[in-house]
Amino acid sequence: MSWRKDDEERPDSDEGDEELDENDYKTQKDAVLFAIEVSKSMLKPPAATGDKKADKDSALTAALKCAYQIMQQRIIAQPRDMMGVLLFGTEKSKFRDDSGNGTGYPHCYLLSDLDVPGAEDVKKLRALVEDDEDEDEIMVPSKEPVIMSNMLFCANQVFTTNAANFGSRRLFIVTDNDDPHAGDKQAKSSAAVRAKDLYDLGIVIELFPISREGKKFDLSKFYDDIIYRDPAAEVGELGGPKTSKAGDGLTLLNSLISNINSKQTPKRSYFSNLPFELAPGLTISVKGYIPLNRQTPSRSCYVYEGEEQAQVVQSETAQVDFAARTVEKTELRKGYKFGGEHICFKPEELAELKQMGKKTLRIIGFKKRSKIPSWASVKKSLFIFPSEEQYVGSTRVFSALWQKLLKDDKVGIAWFVARENAHPVMVAIFPSGNPDDEESNTPYLPAGLWLYPLPFADDVRSVDHVTAPARPADELTDQMRQVIQNLQLPKAMYDPRKYPNPSLQWHYRIVQAIALDEEMPESMEDLTLPKYRQIDKRVGGYLAEWKEMLAKKASDLQNNRAFKREFEDDDDERPAKRAKPTKKATSGGGGPANSNADLKKAFEQGMLGKMTVAELKDIMASKGISTAGRKAELVERLEQWIEGNL
Amino acid sequence: MADKEAIVYVMDLGKPMADCHNGRDESDLDFGMRYIWDKISTTVAASRKTWNVGVVGLNTDETDNNENREEYQGYENISVLQELGPMSMTSLRALKSQIEPSETSSADAISAIVVALRMIQVYTKKLKYKRKIILVTNGESPIDDDQSEDVAAMLNNVGIELVVIGIDFDDAEYGFKEEDKTQHKAENERILKTLVDLCENGEFGTMAQAVEELAIPRIKPVRPFKAYDGPLTLGDPQKYPSALSIPVERYFKTKRATPPSASNVAIHTGPPQAEVIDEDSGAPMSGVEFQPVKQLRTYRVDDAKAAGGKKDIEMEDLAKAYQYGRTVVPFSTSEEDYVKYQTTKSFTIIGFVPMSSYEPFINMGETGLIVAQKVNEQAELGLSALIHALHELESYAVARYVNKDKAAPQILLLKPNPAIEDDVECLYDVPLPFAEDVRSYQFPPLDKVLTITGNVLTEHRLLPNDDLQQAMGDYVDAMDLTDFGQDEDGNPAEYAPIDDVYNPVIHHMNQATRNRAVNPEAPLPPVADILTRFTHPPEPLIAKAKSEINGLIEAAEVKKVPPKVQGKRGRKDTVKPLSGLDIDALLGKTRPRAKKTPISAENAIPEFKQILETAEDDETIETAAKQMGDIIRKLISDSFADVLYPRAAENLRVMREELISMEVPTLYNTYLTELKDSLLSGKLNGDRREMWFRWVVGGRLGLITQDESEVSEVGEDEAKAFLK
Repeated sequence: MSWRKDDEERPDSDEGDEELDENDYKTQKDAVLFAIEVSKSMLKPPAATGDKKADKDSALTAALKCAYQIMQQRIIAQPRDMMGVLLFGTEKSKFRDDSGNGTGYPHCYLLSDLDVPGAEDVKKLRALVEDDEDEDEIMVPSKEPVIMSNMLFCANQVFTTNAANFGSRRLFIVTDNDDPHAGDKQAKSSAAVRAKDLYDLGIVIELFPISREGKKFDLSKFYDDIIYRDPAAEVGELGGPKTSKAGDGLTLLNSLISNINSKQTPKRSYFSNLPFELAPGLTISVKGYIPLNRQTPSRSCYVYEGEEQAQVVQSETAQVDFAARTVEKTELRKGYKFGGEHICFKPEELAELKQMGKKTLRIIGFKKRSKIPSWASVKKSLFIFPSEEQYVGSTRVFSALWQKLLKDDKVGIAWFVARENAHPVMVAIFPSGNPDDEESNTPYLPAGLWLYPLPFADDVRSVDHVTAPARPADELTDQMRQVIQNLQLPKAMYDPRKYPNPSLQWHYRIVQAIALDEEMPESMEDLTLPKYRQIDKRVGGYLAEWKEMLAKKASDLQNNRAFKREFEDDDDERPAKRAKPTKKATSGGGGPANSNADLKKAFEQGMLGKMTVAELKDIMASKGISTAGRKAELVERLEQWIEGNL
Repeated sequence: MADKEAIVYVMDLGKPMADCHNGRDESDLDFGMRYIWDKISTTVAASRKTWNVGVVGLNTDETDNNENREEYQGYENISVLQELGPMSMTSLRALKSQIEPSETSSADAISAIVVALRMIQVYTKKLKYKRKIILVTNGESPIDDDQSEDVAAMLNNVGIELVVIGIDFDDAEYGFKEEDKTQHKAENERILKTLVDLCENGEFGTMAQAVEELAIPRIKPVRPFKAYDGPLTLGDPQKYPSALSIPVERYFKTKRATPPSASNVAIHTGPPQAEVIDEDSGAPMSGVEFQPVKQLRTYRVDDAKAAGGKKDIEMEDLAKAYQYGRTVVPFSTSEEDYVKYQTTKSFTIIGFVPMSSYEPFINMGETGLIVAQKVNEQAELGLSALIHALHELESYAVARYVNKDKAAPQILLLKPNPAIEDDVECLYDVPLPFAEDVRSYQFPPLDKVLTITGNVLTEHRLLPNDDLQQAMGDYVDAMDLTDFGQDEDGNPAEYAPIDDVYNPVIHHMNQATRNRAVNPEAPLPPVADILTRFTHPPEPLIAKAKSEINGLIEAAEVKKVPPKVQGKRGRKDTVKPLSGLDIDALLGKTRPRAKKTPISAENAIPEFKQILETAEDDETIETAAKQMGDIIRKLISDSFADVLYPRAAENLRVMREELISMEVPTLYNTYLTELKDSLLSGKLNGDRREMWFRWVVGGRLGLITQDESEVSEVGEDEAKAFLK
């Protein structure tokens, strides 16, 4: 894919140095045009079976529902990507503004033009699938058969004009007809030529065949002449198209959604052709992906409502000096605050400073998986997969490494620079199992290797303030084991697919309600909330006992400590200097002034103000309260804390 | 934690300091100052008002100190170069000009320590301070040790730490001994060593070690920050009496440290400005060579009626909105609150999973640390029981975490740390992904090959054979780092543990900034070895694993793909659909041949590519390129504002790509030169500069260089200049 520029994606790059350029990653925009066939058989409702769960949707309705659902999904997940819906085989024809006759594409009906979907598009689709109202009589099949070459050229024009320079452009054909031009060789050839045009344009055709009444959808009759596979793609990169059908407890809609969803997300690589130095003298090439990425609600933007339609404003920033004079680019430097001044570097020096070696992934050795501390996490991991583009044989070597790491529970340790000028990081290389494998912990993720960023020494916070362990309480622990054993998550694993992000869902539900003039929802099911009733039912008894036991143990410990403290105070006339820190570290209470009871007493007696700043800061630091500011502020903050916590 | 510091550096500036010793090509003075500048510039960089620095010169030509009165002797040639006080760039520059070797070598180092001691005494009074004197000398000037005991007593009394760092002083522990040491230097070393030993808090070392240790990065300590303080629950205490609630506190265990960030500054050109105040410290910024700039934001919308097609909008006239796809959804303040999911602060366990079911790579970020509320025995014992039970059952807890009211819920995995490897008993937590965070990407399997017809192959060139598997296994085992490192006592230990791996960007940046502050003219320092030692596998390990490495390379048979030596020309590499249909034959009958039928504008890219694929002579290529060029020009001149630019740019991109592969870069370069002229001079129906700057320049569609096509006559520099 060629590099494409997208200005809107680039935030003003002023303060805050580069973080990994995920912007580049996003510039690869995606456009998907659904082409759904309208025909008698597509409109035919499924045979009634009396089963409540059975399909009620015709194939066409299922396809439209699927498009509707995917459109909503894309608005959330891919807010900059385009989508369109083209119906073909319709009696009516419509292309852009010209309705009715005379379009170049008879029996093609452009329901939603290819664009970033908006509220109207969602409404239009919803009207068709939910209310079953087809006022415009769109869903009426034409009497004469559709000419496929026409449909393909129509799609060609839609892409050429609306998504001329998109990195990823795909035509999703949903149909149940495997032989649209039976016996018409001329029509077949024309379609093949138009398909080649699409191939040359860089548009990928994905076919989603629907099988009817157990009949096989035979690709060789027509579609094998239409579909191309990128010769650069590996053998086995994709099996043939998967046929959707009802059955096995699955509705046609579910089957279709599952098939389309697996192709829906454009596979965007985060980097490609990264040299992977497996051993000195052995390099292969890999591509990187981000299959796990925190999705956040869209940020609000500013609009101008002066005209008839609200318009998003464009903001521009200029650098000005104190006299509000605009500073020219040539006068600008990057400065680092240093002792009240700015230390500056020339642009080429800055580039040199950040350059920590060429982009690479270089293994420096291997460790047992257990050697990676359980707390060593700082950032999401990246997924890598081999590519034969630079080094022939990459895939088999990669596979051998993957199998070895899986088998022996080992991880690679590597030095990783994602791109030129990217900040280097040490990573542990973990393998992920086959998603189809019963044993796999991650059936929702592909098999391959993961680059797990390790923290630097700089990223680890000191935990000196944490008090040392209390003695293990055996009965309490035993009882707690019962609780844990009885509250395993389903399938004894955390499956993210079961936990939609409640704040994200809520955000889009509300925005959608405003956009579509719907009624505002009152509440929403939050799947991240624990099943409280179940918890009570399953382990309520254990917990009640446990709490009783805990109360007793705790009061024993409290008495024990009070006694000890008294004893120590008597015995210990002049605490040796060195005893102080150790005492602080072992006893739960720390120094006397630190104990909450004393603190509360001091507060009630109004003694806090009499303490020195250093003392205040020590206490506050031990409580994790901010110690910034002047004495009065410190006292006030501490008082607030005591009121709120003691 | 005493934050306030008072440190006095005593620097020997004697005449012998100007000489070079022990094979160094820098003078003793420069060698010693490397240490002192590093320390001082670190203080400057921190710009803390409570960190005070004083500097005393030993063996100065002049005498300038408070102790040099008639009743005392032995304080000659000692000068206070800087009184105790906060250190700024200005004072650093002032100090720098005074660091010159003198013509004398007669002052007494212990007297200088006394001068420093008095400075600290006067400055810090009885307040809480960290007090320190650092003496740097090569021990050539005579020292009178009569007073050593008294001086040590005074240092101890005031609570001052004394650090003596001698240039070429012997240090058996570090392993340094100066061979041809003079008698008097040895004696001086002994006197200073005795003095340090008399101090309760003293350190004695050699400069070589001090300088070496400068390279060890210093990690900025961060005060613990409490992210959560409240109950960890199991069940709903509001509804079910059985529910559990343990008061806990949550801190950060890891937090990504970031390199210092740069701000935009302008080179000072005009007359001196009014006093500039540093926003961070509130102190005036003096001697400003660069001045900070502010950002001025302006808002505008497209408006066909306004000049330039844009209209400026005042901030007050703006409303807030969310985008739902391309639909703009303005919202009111009341709605704004509603868009946020309403939550209350809570931390509650959803359920438990076995440790074996969890893969670390699904972590989404930084680690937290959870401990029981302080001085709360119930919390202490309760959390401890949970931690130990989880540990014994090899399980993790999954919890829903809302750190404060109205915050977005997170899902955390809680991992027990029962204080076995360290003495911190706690739960660690890491964030887990939600459903929306998982992107379903499809990849082919790695242990089998599926053919397009649905067959499964287990032997294939993309799959490793037994030899390769064996070689890979041997290699991985041979390169094991688990015990390859060494601990302090020389015992085998883990290689490259996290504690030893520093963020190279942060520390190199800091190093360079400090250097630049002290020596503005000097070039950038090289990256310190300690920052790059883990970028490659350790040499001894490579040597040890030599045969396994070679075995792997042999079994792998990886070959680099040669760079494209030839373009498409003459290479008949036809693309076919799945059926293998001869599409070229079909095209041949129906398509334009450039010379007869021209390329159509609406299907330009496919037709252009198809013509070139079958072109048999240069004339065809030239004609096709000409037709494509005309289409592009027409698109631009027909374009209302920038509507057709993307399409024109895509056509241009394809044209460029195809002409490179046809090895006729000149056709493109000539065309682009003309196009540039037309765009910039307004010959294509109006102002078309945006087409040039945003799409051609921004889209990297400049001249084809020799790097891209050997037959091009355009060099890198020419191509660059062309885009300006």
